[in-house]
Amino acid sequence: MKTLVICAVNGGEHTVLADSRDTLLELLRERIGLTGTKEGCGNGNCGTCTVLVDGAPVNACLMLAQEAPGRDILTIEGLSDGSGGLHPIQQALVEHGGTQCGFCTPGIVLSAKALLDENPSPTPQDIRHAIAGNICRCTGYDKIVEAIAAAAIQARGP
Amino acid sequence: MAPQQSSLEVVGKRLPRVDAGERVTGAAIYPADLTLPGMVHAKMLRSPFAHARIRHIDTSRAEALAGVLAVVTAADFPELPVGATIPMGETGYDMWMVAQVNLARHKAWWVGQPIAAVAAVDVHIAEAALTLIEVDYERLDPVLDIAAAMAPDAPVLHDHVFTKGVEPRPRTPSNICSRTVIARGDTAQGLAEAPATAQIRVTVDTAHQGYLEPQVAVAEVDANGFATVWASTQGQFTAELMIGRMLGLPLSKLKVVPLEVGGAFGGKIAIHGEAIAVRLAQKCRRPVKLVLTREEVLQGGSGPAAGALIDITVGADKEGRLTAIEGTYRMDAGGLPGLSPSLLMQASAALYQCPNLNLQGYDVVTNKPRTEAYRGPGGIQAAFAMEQAMDALCQRLDMDPLEFRRRNASVTGSTMPIGTPFPAIGLTTILERVGAHSCWTDSLPRGRYPRGRGLALGYWRGTSMTSAGHITIAGDGRPMVTMGAVDISGTRTTMAQVVAEEFGLPLEDIHIHTGDTKSVGYSDGAAGSRVARTSTAALVEASRDALGQLRARAAEKLQCAPDQLDYTHGRFQARQLGGAAITLAELMQATLTDGAVVGRGVSTKLPLGVEIGAHVCDVEVDTDTGLVTVLRYTAFQDVGLALNPTAVEGQIAGSVVQGLGWALMEAFDYGPDGRLRNASLLDYRMPTALDVPPIECVIIETPVPNVPYGVRGVGEVPIVPPAAAVANAIARAVGVRILHMPMTPERVLRALKG
Repeated sequence: MKTLVICAVNGGEHTVLADSRDTLLELLRERIGLTGTKEGCGNGNCGTCTVLVDGAPVNACLMLAQEAPGRDILTIEGLSDGSGGLHPIQQALVEHGGTQCGFCTPGIVLSAKALLDENPSPTPQDIRHAIAGNICRCTGYDKIVEAIAAAAIQARGP
Repeated sequence: MAPQQSSLEVVGKRLPRVDAGERVTGAAIYPADLTLPGMVHAKMLRSPFAHARIRHIDTSRAEALAGVLAVVTAADFPELPVGATIPMGETGYDMWMVAQVNLARHKAWWVGQPIAAVAAVDVHIAEAALTLIEVDYERLDPVLDIAAAMAPDAPVLHDHVFTKGVEPRPRTPSNICSRTVIARGDTAQGLAEAPATAQIRVTVDTAHQGYLEPQVAVAEVDANGFATVWASTQGQFTAELMIGRMLGLPLSKLKVVPLEVGGAFGGKIAIHGEAIAVRLAQKCRRPVKLVLTREEVLQGGSGPAAGALIDITVGADKEGRLTAIEGTYRMDAGGLPGLSPSLLMQASAALYQCPNLNLQGYDVVTNKPRTEAYRGPGGIQAAFAMEQAMDALCQRLDMDPLEFRRRNASVTGSTMPIGTPFPAIGLTTILERVGAHSCWTDSLPRGRYPRGRGLALGYWRGTSMTSAGHITIAGDGRPMVTMGAVDISGTRTTMAQVVAEEFGLPLEDIHIHTGDTKSVGYSDGAAGSRVARTSTAALVEASRDALGQLRARAAEKLQCAPDQLDYTHGRFQARQLGGAAITLAELMQATLTDGAVVGRGVSTKLPLGVEIGAHVCDVEVDTDTGLVTVLRYTAFQDVGLALNPTAVEGQIAGSVVQGLGWALMEAFDYGPDGRLRNASLLDYRMPTALDVPPIECVIIETPVPNVPYGVRGVGEVPIVPPAAAVANAIARAVGVRILHMPMTPERVLRALKG
């Protein structure tokens, strides 16, 4: 069954015809065309499809599209201001070599944002804990952890 | 040939990836992100049985379902004969095997092997249609483990397989596809005379490359029958050859466009569904998208890495000098014949000089998914056996394991296992660096549970094969690079650095991209630690070709002989004539209408850039639960020259963590019926950020002679030592050897309890 779903994604309102079976991930990728959120497993085990729902990291493959109305959804496309400037977490990942194949990167960026919004001065172990739901198969994690730590310092300012 | 490192301006620098911005913003396009007008969706029907004859397939009911546009089975493809190959390296690539992996025809050899595929207007209808396909199977007994498959009374998977490498040729078919022997001297005598020997047998479970992006193919066929495939592949040309051969489609009617690759590690060399997507698109005249689910990727829709059963016996004299190395390597190919184990056998023994050597390898088929390459294929399995045997021998001799390696180390000019001399290698330097490093000299801090330190070496030969590229000079004088290399390891960045260095320009002046199969010269895939080395050679040649053409134009413009011009940093300057000069930008603006400047380069027979590493790790073994925690990990590696140290560290650390995953937690768990019981990333656990310590990388640079910039392969060897390093650390912590990989808490606890 298809119904209209009205939802707030990246600060804009979208009215989308969605199948009752659609997940939030399908809503974002297939219906709205925001393909920055990736699908790695489809059952909540890899963290690749992490988005922020009301500021909290959520596996978009585990949430139904029908649950989206009334929530504030942030995807990787909504993080940069659109003028070409990167968010400090993105910038730090670029500078520290924290992205390789890039498939896990959008999810990692959003998990890191949720962490830094809550805890501006995380320890390396805090960072590892915050991204423990995001599997990265390329980097071995060190350069991601370093990047998030650097972004935290950058965000706190001098 | 290899410039002095100190004179380099762009190569060797820690520069950010040129494509990092697209990755961190989600703008990078992987095949799953593609939507074409009118596109429909495909799903595959897979074998529910591990071993079955396919008597008949009836697709009529599926075809009749509303919304279904096309159904294909193997009958829609020409039948390739056993022995069919496509060009790759010296031996070619087994195309009969690739065809069976993509669609079973007469028999299914594993659970999950594709049987048929459906294209429908949406995924849900395609899935519904799969349930309407009727397959008449004759079930056969499966054989699932290596030893059982090698037994004389085992069910035989292939009637046409007679063990290769055995004289006279066996009269009956067998599950042992090939036997490989590498031998010199007399190991029986070497062992008989040795005062100390060590003998071990290890088992390694099948594991998966674990790339996060499942296989995806998008195919479109135009009105003239020209097919385009957008793929996630390690090699667009290999994929094209495979697709063309499966379909019987001439290469002039086919193009493969490589998009971003969400991890591969060897698992995306062969095609998995690309040719099927094309056939469906031909049949239904609509673009077709095929996306595998994670369950399909794990359950049989992609090739995992080979399990193994390996015996090693080593002997040494009282001074710790090796007298004999014996090894029997049985590799689990899965349901179809695999690779010769020759490379992994050589790799495990290459770093030791020993007068008596006898290595025997067997490629064995079992009713599990046909295995594929995984980062230094077979290297970690073989090292898990060999490096533990060497460590056990050190314990018998009461000798420091680093000193033992020093006494037996291969050096430049030493004999390799296959009898040829080693090119320049830096093993001695690596061992010196290990001995001087705090990871080796610091005493182990005490913990709640026993702790130990392990050392293991790794070797990987890699390959060279063909790479090509060309450089067009834009109207503003900047180089536009098109290379054949797919970027799975930062290749765009390192190759842009090479071109920037050659032109004396900053990195940001270089535009680089990977060409599709109709826009760049034939190039082999990104595999075998070859792509950075050989692409460097090709693009150095292309740069110098383009600069030669530019020099001729500049000479004409400045009215002097070409050899009277100096070139530096994007500018030609006459040595006489009052030093008249012209920049590349000015030159191209002035000569734009004279025709294109295109420099071409190809590398076909570059000398090998063998990889050597030594890893040291500290572990703590929880003797109550069997859990092994890696506390500290240091990887030493000779990389020839680090084109970009940040990228090199990323390759090494990522590779080590994959090795630690297989060492401690990753394994396919098969039921007795051959069904995978852990076909999800919850049950097939890969390391998270909490499971691994920081990986310290120590880069050593011993350039390869006669190779531009002296570059070695990087990405494969760091996965070779980790399991052995951990096992050796456990042995030193608790006094028992764990001989089954992964070394799960259950197995460690069982070993502790004897």
